[in-house]
Amino acid sequence: MMRISPSLVPMLVVALMVLALYWPLMYLANIPVAQRALDTGAALPCQTAFECATQLRSPVLPSPQQLWNGFGNLMFPLNSPNAIPINAAVTAFETVVGLLLAAAVGFFFAIGMVVSRAFERALLPWIVASQTVPIIAIAPMLVVLLGQYGVQGWLPKAIIAAYIAFFPITIGVAKGLKSPDPMALDLMKTYNASHWQTYLKLRFPASVPYLFTAFKVAMTAALIGAIVAEISTISFQGIGKMLAENSRASDVVAMWVIMLSSAVLGILLVALVNWLERLLTPWRRTGPVAAGPSRPAREGVRSA
Amino acid sequence: MSGLYRPSSYWTGWLLLGLGFGLLLWFIVAWWDQSEPASSAQKLLIGLGFLGVVWGIARVAQQFVDTPNPVIGFTPAALTLLALVVTAEALLRAYQVPAGLIPTPSRVLSTLLEVRDVLLQDAFQTVVLEALVGYLIGCSLGLITALLVSRYVFLERGLLPYATIFSSIPIVALAPVLVKMIGIDWPSKAVIVAVTVFFPMVVNTFRGLTEVSPLSLDLMRSYAAGEVQQYRWLRLPNALPFIFNALKLGTTLAMIGAIVGEFFGANGQGLGFRIQIEAGRFGFDIVWSAIIVASLIGIAWYNLVAWLERRLTGWHVSFR
Repeated sequence: MMRISPSLVPMLVVALMVLALYWPLMYLANIPVAQRALDTGAALPCQTAFECATQLRSPVLPSPQQLWNGFGNLMFPLNSPNAIPINAAVTAFETVVGLLLAAAVGFFFAIGMVVSRAFERALLPWIVASQTVPIIAIAPMLVVLLGQYGVQGWLPKAIIAAYIAFFPITIGVAKGLKSPDPMALDLMKTYNASHWQTYLKLRFPASVPYLFTAFKVAMTAALIGAIVAEISTISFQGIGKMLAENSRASDVVAMWVIMLSSAVLGILLVALVNWLERLLTPWRRTGPVAAGPSRPAREGVRSA
Repeated sequence: MSGLYRPSSYWTGWLLLGLGFGLLLWFIVAWWDQSEPASSAQKLLIGLGFLGVVWGIARVAQQFVDTPNPVIGFTPAALTLLALVVTAEALLRAYQVPAGLIPTPSRVLSTLLEVRDVLLQDAFQTVVLEALVGYLIGCSLGLITALLVSRYVFLERGLLPYATIFSSIPIVALAPVLVKMIGIDWPSKAVIVAVTVFFPMVVNTFRGLTEVSPLSLDLMRSYAAGEVQQYRWLRLPNALPFIFNALKLGTTLAMIGAIVGEFFGANGQGLGFRIQIEAGRFGFDIVWSAIIVASLIGIAWYNLVAWLERRLTGWHVSFR
C-alpha cells in the first residue's frame, strides 16, 4: 500500500478521459430527448434543449449534477429503511451467508470428487451442466416454493446465492486438493500417514490459496444471486428490491445511483476476501500462480 | 481400492440398480391416478428404492471410471439424472404435492410438448437475437481490446485494473438501467449480454497473449520476426486456450444476461419474460419447461464451443 503502483498515472488518465468524454456524450444523448419534450410542450423549467438536457426526468444519461443529488437523496438518512446503506447491508449479509453455504456444499462435492472417481463420474457432468443452465431462471420459482414451506426473508435469497456460488468453490477446492505435488504425497506415504492425516496435514493446507481465488469469483456470483433473488420475489429490503422498485417507478437517476452503489458493494466484498486472504495465508502474497487455463474445468468438459 | 476388478460387485450393483428402479417405477404406475397421499409403508418403499438406486450407481460407476469413450463414460451421470427424476416423480406422487406448487416431471414433459411452439419462439428471441448477437459483439470487442492492451503498456496499466474491478461488479444491477436507456426490445438485452461477456474475454485473452514463454519470445526475436508475425505465430496460438475458456464462460453468462435482462421489461416474448410471467401466476409446469429449453440450449451451446476448442487446440497439454 505504501509504494505507488506504476498503474496509478495511466489509470487516472483513463478515468479523466472517460469523465471528459461523459459531458459531450450526455448532451449528445439527452438533447434529442429534451427537444422532443420541449416540442410536446411539457412543463420544463428551462427554455432551450441544451439547458434541458441536464434536467430531464428520465434522461438517457443522467448529468453529474443529477447523479450527485440522487446520491444525496438515497444515501441519507443513513438509518432510513429506504436508504441505500441498510439495504446494501441486508444484501451483503445474504451474500455472505450464501457464500458460506456454498463453501460447505462445495467442500462436500470437492472432497467427494477427489476421494472417489466414481462419484466424480456420476456427478461432475451435472455440476458443470448446472452452470450452463441459466440458473437465475430458477430463482423466481425457488423463492415462491421455499415461501410455501415457511422459508422466508433472507434465507431463500442466501440459498439462491449459494446455488450460484457453489460451482467455482467446488472446482477451486477440487483443484486445490489435487495440487500437492506427487513428491509431497510420496513423503506422506513414507511417513506412514493415514488417509485422514494426508488430508489434514497436506491436502487441506495446499488447497487454501485455491480456496481464496475461488471465493473471489464466488463472492461476485453470490452477490448477483442475492440481487436477482430479491428482484424476482416479494422482498422488503435489499439492493434488488430497490432496483425493482425504481425500475417500476421509472426513476432513472435512482437506478443509476443504485447501480453504482452495488458496484461499490461488489468491490468491497471482494476486497474483504482479499483482506482475509492476506490475513490467513501470510506465506504467499499473491494468489496461486495460474499456469494455463483451469484444468478441472477442462476435465469436466471432457467427461461431460 | 477402486482399481481392483471385482466382477461380482458390478453384478450386485446392476441388480441393486434394477431393483431400485423397479420399486420406484412400480409405485409411480400404481399411483398414477390416485389422489390420496401414500401410506407410510409405501413412502418407506420409495426410500428403499432410492437407496437401492444410489447404492447401485455407486457400485456400477466404478466400472466406468477409466473408460476413454466419452459416451460410455457418461452412463453413470445419465443414471444419476434418471434416478433423481424418477425419485422426484415418486415422492411428489406419494405426498400428493399440488401441481401448482411443484409439478411432477411427467407433467412438465407433457406441458413441454404442448407449449413447444411458444417456447421455441421465446427461445429464438432470447437465444438468437439477444444472447448470440450480444455474445458475438462482446467477444469480438473483448478480443480487440485485449490485443490493443497487450500491445501498449500504457493501456495495460490504465485499462486492465478497471477490467479486474469490473469483474467484481454485479452485472444484474446494470440490466434495468440499460433496458430503460435503450428500450424494451431485443437490442437492450444484446447490449447487456455484450457487456457481461466483454470483461472476462479481455482479462483471459490478455493473460494468454502475455503469458508467453520468454524462450519462445527470444526465438522469435532471433528469427527477426516482426510484431505481426509474433502475434500470428506465437501470441495468438498461445492465447487460444485462454480465449476458449472465456468463450465457454461467456455462453453461460450470455444466457443469464439475456434472461435477467428480460425480467426488467420485454416486448412480450422471450424465455426470461415467460418465466417471470408464469412464475407470477403459479404456472410452474411452463416455468420448468422454459428452464428445460433454456438449459438444453445452454448445454448445447457450451458443448459446441468445447467441441470447437478441441478441434482448434487439440495440441494443448490439457487434452493429452
